[in-house]
Amino acid sequence: MALTGRLGLLALLGALVPLVLPSWSTLWVLWGVLLAGVVADLLLAGNVRALRFHRSGDANVRLGETAHVALTVENLGRRRVKARLRDVWPPSAGAAPRVTRIDVPAGERRRVEMTLVPSRRGDREAVTVVVRSVGPLGLAARQLSRPAPWRVRVLPAFPSRRHLPGKLAKLRELTGAHVALIRGQGTEFDSLREYVDGDDVRSIDWRATARRGDVVVRTWRPERDRRIYLVLDTGRTAAGRVGDVPRLDCSMDAALLLGALASRAGDRVDLLAYDRRVRARVEGASRTDLLPAMVQAMAPLEPELIESDAAGMVSTLMSRVRQRCLVVLLTELNTAAIEEGLLPLLPQLTARHMVMVAAISDPRVTEMAAARGDLAAVYDAAAAERARADRRRLTAELRSYGVEVVDAPPEEIAPALADAYLALKAAGRL
Amino acid sequence: MVTRAGTPDGAAVPSARQVAGRRWRASRGVLLALLAMVAIAVALAALRPSGTAQDLDPTSPGAGGTRALAEILKQRGTPVAVSRRAADAAGRATGDAVLVVTRTERLTDADLERLRSAPGDLLLVAPGRDALAALAPGVREAAPSFERADDPDCALPAAAQAGRATFANAETYEVPPGATGCYQADGLPRLVQASIGGRTVTVLGSSSPLTNEHLAEEGNAALAMNLVGARSSMVWLIPDLPEPGAEGGERTLGDLLPFGVKLFFLELLVAVVLVALWRSRRLGPVVAEALPVVVRSSETVEGRARLYRAHRARDRAADALRAGARERLVPLLGLPRGAAQDPAAANGIVSAVALRTGRAEAEVGAALYGPEPADDAGLVRLSDLLDDLERQVRDS
Repeated sequence: MALTGRLGLLALLGALVPLVLPSWSTLWVLWGVLLAGVVADLLLAGNVRALRFHRSGDANVRLGETAHVALTVENLGRRRVKARLRDVWPPSAGAAPRVTRIDVPAGERRRVEMTLVPSRRGDREAVTVVVRSVGPLGLAARQLSRPAPWRVRVLPAFPSRRHLPGKLAKLRELTGAHVALIRGQGTEFDSLREYVDGDDVRSIDWRATARRGDVVVRTWRPERDRRIYLVLDTGRTAAGRVGDVPRLDCSMDAALLLGALASRAGDRVDLLAYDRRVRARVEGASRTDLLPAMVQAMAPLEPELIESDAAGMVSTLMSRVRQRCLVVLLTELNTAAIEEGLLPLLPQLTARHMVMVAAISDPRVTEMAAARGDLAAVYDAAAAERARADRRRLTAELRSYGVEVVDAPPEEIAPALADAYLALKAAGRL
Repeated sequence: MVTRAGTPDGAAVPSARQVAGRRWRASRGVLLALLAMVAIAVALAALRPSGTAQDLDPTSPGAGGTRALAEILKQRGTPVAVSRRAADAAGRATGDAVLVVTRTERLTDADLERLRSAPGDLLLVAPGRDALAALAPGVREAAPSFERADDPDCALPAAAQAGRATFANAETYEVPPGATGCYQADGLPRLVQASIGGRTVTVLGSSSPLTNEHLAEEGNAALAMNLVGARSSMVWLIPDLPEPGAEGGERTLGDLLPFGVKLFFLELLVAVVLVALWRSRRLGPVVAEALPVVVRSSETVEGRARLYRAHRARDRAADALRAGARERLVPLLGLPRGAAQDPAAANGIVSAVALRTGRAEAEVGAALYGPEPADDAGLVRLSDLLDDLERQVRDS
């Protein structure tokens, strides 16, 4: 039940009546009239209890895009229900319209179209549906709140997918499948074919040439079916924002591009999100399922405000993968965290796997390092130089263990990581 | 590094000055209104004739008291009976006495009624409207006058003999036919004598001719003596403040309100409750959700910069700037990367830079490996010099 402003207004105007007819009976009659109006409204208002809600529409939406969710209101009662309806979503779901009017005749259904423009990644669940049906006099209303569950999963935006065609073209050059028909590079034997002008004489297969009586060259192709293990660090360092985007989101973007590229290159890609325990895992997904599985796994991930447990991460990794693989660790080059956590464990990891560390550098630090003019700016520059020196030292230290380090600002990290992968592949180091 | 507060990059944080300015602009209207109200209050207080508890009290030697007059009257053989209550004064009054009524604003309606029925003549000193209506019907207040000294200009012997008298802001009166008016200002008298109900009622528009302060001026003393003297006795009524509730018994605000108004307020209360119920019922709940942490990744670096600045850590700042510059210079010079942080390579770097820039080796050495700058300006100069070196090496 809910009262309306009209009732308050009537009561207010009614206050003038006892000034004219000052007696208790005047007041009692007034109150009686108002009460009768309220009771009549409550009896005559549409029966909101007879309403049933059904949902349909999008269950997934990429961040920045619009999801459409339909709410079907079914009236099982014997009277028409005219009401105001509010479909309650969390604020970050960006649900609109906030309040709609519905008019559902007895036994019929009506659809309410909701559009959602979520402002953050993750799962958004509908809270409840509230209906308020005002009586014919407009003095009181019946109100009911009833859950109508629905979940919209907001997936990472994956803005770096525009780099994918370019990287795939590079990949085709490597494999020799490019339209330019350049001989593929790589270490894995592919096939024999006749020599044509321009082929590298070193690739002539003399034994086959002797057998065929024609000059035959070996063609090579990059190794296939290598395993790539993407590890997302979801600890405290992933929460820091570069520009206005958390590091974790940039890392996800880079991981998605690398995953898409590697799966096209014929490699098997797995994903692990870890801070002090496993937050998400994608293993053994087929080539076509990989990207959807990865975005689904990434969508609900949030940075945890705890120090990542590098030892736990390494042991999880070692227990999951036996064969040699490329471990791509997307983390932050934080001196304390890396030196105390990861560095002591690196020999164990690099003994069996190829390790690549991808970190997002902050353009703000670069900007500060270039600051000049007044004293504050110079101190800013000094602090930024110090931070960059630490980063360089850490990078050098990691490289001394044979770890590949990719350190790039947020808008370049995804293509830089993809390039580093292609370079490794071309060099046959996977 | 990670905290739960912070503003996202780009949202400009207003400076304290801007905040203060905004608050001033928002509140200056209110402040001006308050100032204006205070000024008006002060002006009103200044314009109001000042009065103290002792004014016109025959026992008070203060400026506003009338002890001088009382003493003179006593020497002349007319004792002054001071009365603090109207009933008391009315009881003491006799047929040939004069009753001086002062501070009439303290008299209740009942007091005025008692005085009206008391015998003897009346002298009303600066009476209020109610006292005038009760004790001197026909005489009405006209307008205040601020002329100080004036001639009597009338046939009243008491005034005519006294001659000029001084009045501080006095009230003037409209006189009924048959009454005598003296000391006219704009044609309206400040002293009125009339015969009302078989007795002589004199109304004096100002209390100042009677006070200690002004009694000696002009003919004030004579006027006062003439008005009250030459009687066998006089009663000086200076009423105390009436006791609370003395008038008309225990009537509360509720008794005074008409019944309809009370019902009106009751119904108003009901209306307010109904409006509150209307506004308090939301269309659905308020939804709470966990917000993400907002923390800039560059926070630690900025914090370190502020620490350097707070502690004037010129040595560390200079070291960091030099190390950074060397790190960028070394590849430009074609030296191995490790040379930048290697003290043994210092001479090589300095001579190479000096060769490329054409600067003296001592200057380059001081820039790249020198001591801590002596002051803040030195640190700023060092940063500029390092920039210059870097640019010159790059361009050479």
